[in-house]
Amino acid sequence: MNERALTRILVVLPMYGGSLPVGRYCAKALAGLGHLVEVFEAPDFHGAFTALKNLRVTAKRLDYLEHAFLQTVSQAVLAKVETFEPDLVLALAQAPLGRQTLKRLRRDGVATAMWFVEDHRVFTYWQAFAPYYDFFAVIQKEPFLSRLAGLGVENVLYLPMAADPDIHRPLDLSPAERRLYGSDLSFVGAGYPNRRMAFRELFGFDLKIWGSDWDGEIALAPRIQLGGRRVGTEESVKIFGAAKINLNLHSGLDPAVLVPAGDFVNPRTFELAMCGAFQLVSGRELLPEAFAPDEAAVFTDMNGLKEAAAHYLAHPGEREAMAGRARERALREHTYARRMQTLLEFVAVRRPGFGNAVRREADLADLPDGLRAELAGLLGELGLPGDAGFADVVTAVRSRQGRLTELETALLFLDEWRKQYASR
Amino acid sequence: MGSRMKRVLVVQLARLGDLIQTKRLLLSVALPDADGAVPEVHLLTDASLSSLARLLFPGVVCHGLCAHGPAVPGGADDPAALSRVFANRAVFAELSGLDFGRVYLLNHSGLARAVSALFPPETVRGHFQTAGQPQKDPWPALAFRFAAARREAGLNLADFWAAFAPRLAAPESVNPVAAPKGGGLGVVLAGREARRSLPPEVLAPLAAVAASRHAARRIVLLGLASQAPAAREFFRRLPPAAAKNVVDLVGKTDMAGLMREIASLDELFTPDTGAMHLAAHLGTPVTAFFLSSAWCHETGPYGAGHTVWQAVIPCAPCLESSPCVQGMACLSPFAQAGMLRLAAGSGKAAPPAGLVGLRTETDALGVVCRPFAGEDPTATARTAFRAFVAEHLGLLRGGAASGPALGGRFYLETDWMLDRFSRFGSHRQDMEIL
Repeated sequence: MNERALTRILVVLPMYGGSLPVGRYCAKALAGLGHLVEVFEAPDFHGAFTALKNLRVTAKRLDYLEHAFLQTVSQAVLAKVETFEPDLVLALAQAPLGRQTLKRLRRDGVATAMWFVEDHRVFTYWQAFAPYYDFFAVIQKEPFLSRLAGLGVENVLYLPMAADPDIHRPLDLSPAERRLYGSDLSFVGAGYPNRRMAFRELFGFDLKIWGSDWDGEIALAPRIQLGGRRVGTEESVKIFGAAKINLNLHSGLDPAVLVPAGDFVNPRTFELAMCGAFQLVSGRELLPEAFAPDEAAVFTDMNGLKEAAAHYLAHPGEREAMAGRARERALREHTYARRMQTLLEFVAVRRPGFGNAVRREADLADLPDGLRAELAGLLGELGLPGDAGFADVVTAVRSRQGRLTELETALLFLDEWRKQYASR
Repeated sequence: MGSRMKRVLVVQLARLGDLIQTKRLLLSVALPDADGAVPEVHLLTDASLSSLARLLFPGVVCHGLCAHGPAVPGGADDPAALSRVFANRAVFAELSGLDFGRVYLLNHSGLARAVSALFPPETVRGHFQTAGQPQKDPWPALAFRFAAARREAGLNLADFWAAFAPRLAAPESVNPVAAPKGGGLGVVLAGREARRSLPPEVLAPLAAVAASRHAARRIVLLGLASQAPAAREFFRRLPPAAAKNVVDLVGKTDMAGLMREIASLDELFTPDTGAMHLAAHLGTPVTAFFLSSAWCHETGPYGAGHTVWQAVIPCAPCLESSPCVQGMACLSPFAQAGMLRLAAGSGKAAPPAGLVGLRTETDALGVVCRPFAGEDPTATARTAFRAFVAEHLGLLRGGAASGPALGGRFYLETDWMLDRFSRFGSHRQDMEIL
């Protein structure tokens, strides 16, 4: 009996919201790093919560029902953990893991990590949940780190946002796409109050605004594209590539502060950089750690924004050079794979024996020669490294949809046979 | 109707007795369809049973798999054993290419569920997995709940499996009505679980008096070589007059030989064994002794004309996996003098307390054990139960009086509310298990 080779990670997605795509990027990155990943598809349960909200019952009763159903979803996560036996449960902000569930996982020795990709000042619920996670990764530093320490949360990691180079990448656009998506200035995102006020000052520029949540905006109505419908990721990437200047104005709820000061760097910054698209980004405390001044053009007020826009529109070579440097930096340092690697190293340092749980199953090396040779071919197809354990191969095969091949069936059968007769 | 013959596969990976109890399902799936076309029936068993399967079920295409456990403890990690099991790949390749229209997986085991992954999900019935999630169809899910009420319930395993099929072959068509063949009494010494068998000192006197009822006085001992000590003990316990008629075939017959021998007997004395099911298959009258965890209403001999002596003390049937804490109280009625009189053929004698004599018949649902001697405390409940199941399976027109009460007990909210049938297809005639 050997130790198994792969780290098993269960990624628990939130049911909805901005951290949902981040969770999917994480799962993809972890699998790309050669780990065995399963995803808890919490969005599949979201419809039930929507249905509860449409009941028109007393608030007390709705509260009870939502709580009860959330318990069921938490139980589903526990069942998944029981079957998959992960080394780490990675949850994204708003993932449906209740305190009782987290306590249970801790008691059972399953490591849990939360990547809290939210602003702790806005989304304050972390205070009730952070102590129950073994590892807590955040996109802000002080005073958040001290506040977490004050709560007794020990293993806190600063882990800024990132981008996925397979998704956010330079695209070859057709002339028609350039016409549709192109403009001097472009903004993709929701119509937060500060953005509405800020963009009204850009009437002298060729500005296109993409995305939803711009309802009721009269002054900017001619600038809003596609009737203000939601823009998908693929379409966003085309817009980023077609615009001469992408505006990246961090959101703010106070319409009086058009360019809000803040600490964390939003995902858009990394996505634009990864696309090799030029951006004018509002200044953030933590931005200099991510991008140097010659990699991202920063503005801190409206005058700065307008001056920079005029300058860079007049200097396409500077735009191109800066965007190219930003992309190189992003590819080098700001991928989700890099973030996940950092997180796992952080966990490994603080948790002795992490990823080395001994399982009953044999390594592939223990299997008969003929079988081992056959499996070598299957490993590549399953995206598993050559040193994958038999149990990992079986887990990967088991999660396949639809009809299996005779080789895959033979593997499952062999696994069941060993389970059935091993103790006899 | 296409010109291509419809193929059906039945997967039965368990032991000899279970294989024989698959017979009604095999007959059921072979029934002509609405267009008169007769499906080609295939059967997948453990390789050790495939040659017997061919003998038992002529016309069925039999395939063998390495499914049973290693002969030695701890052999599950032996490379040679693993290689043998992995060589199943060739069988899987062959089955995969046969394009079965329907695949029935009878065993509630990881092995059967692994096999199910080989086929398109919409073709599999019974116990299967989809994308790694073990599942079972509504009928086995319901039937598993019957286990919580074993004493009152009464559904033969052969009928349970048969009901995986859309239409059931008539129960009386499964096995011949039992009739003596002239070859004397056969005695099976023990089954796989010793606790479920009568010990030689109890069995021998019963066999001696039973043998005297047949013109051919021979007593044929049957069993595996490992039962030779029990055979010697049995022999020692026989009265000399009976002992001289003993033919000891313990450990001396292969499966074909065992079949030939059983087919020639007047009667077979046996616990709940594969040999018992073989006798029922061949129409040889069985006198079976059911005690401990054995319950004739679940695994009794199939067909009309067999006799079962069933222990019905309050703790019976027990769980095979749990140790007995009652001092094997269910054994003592078999050792009493009253039992000896009954074995001798005295129809008037009352059996010892805790013992019921039953005879097998068939009804709308399948095989049924009806009491002829002694007090069967759960007979009435069982009649109601069978009516409920028959109605559930569409075999009882007009409804069962017991329906509402038993429905309230066995049907769950999940049956009522969750989608259980869409995988059976959108047409009602495609919904095979109702």
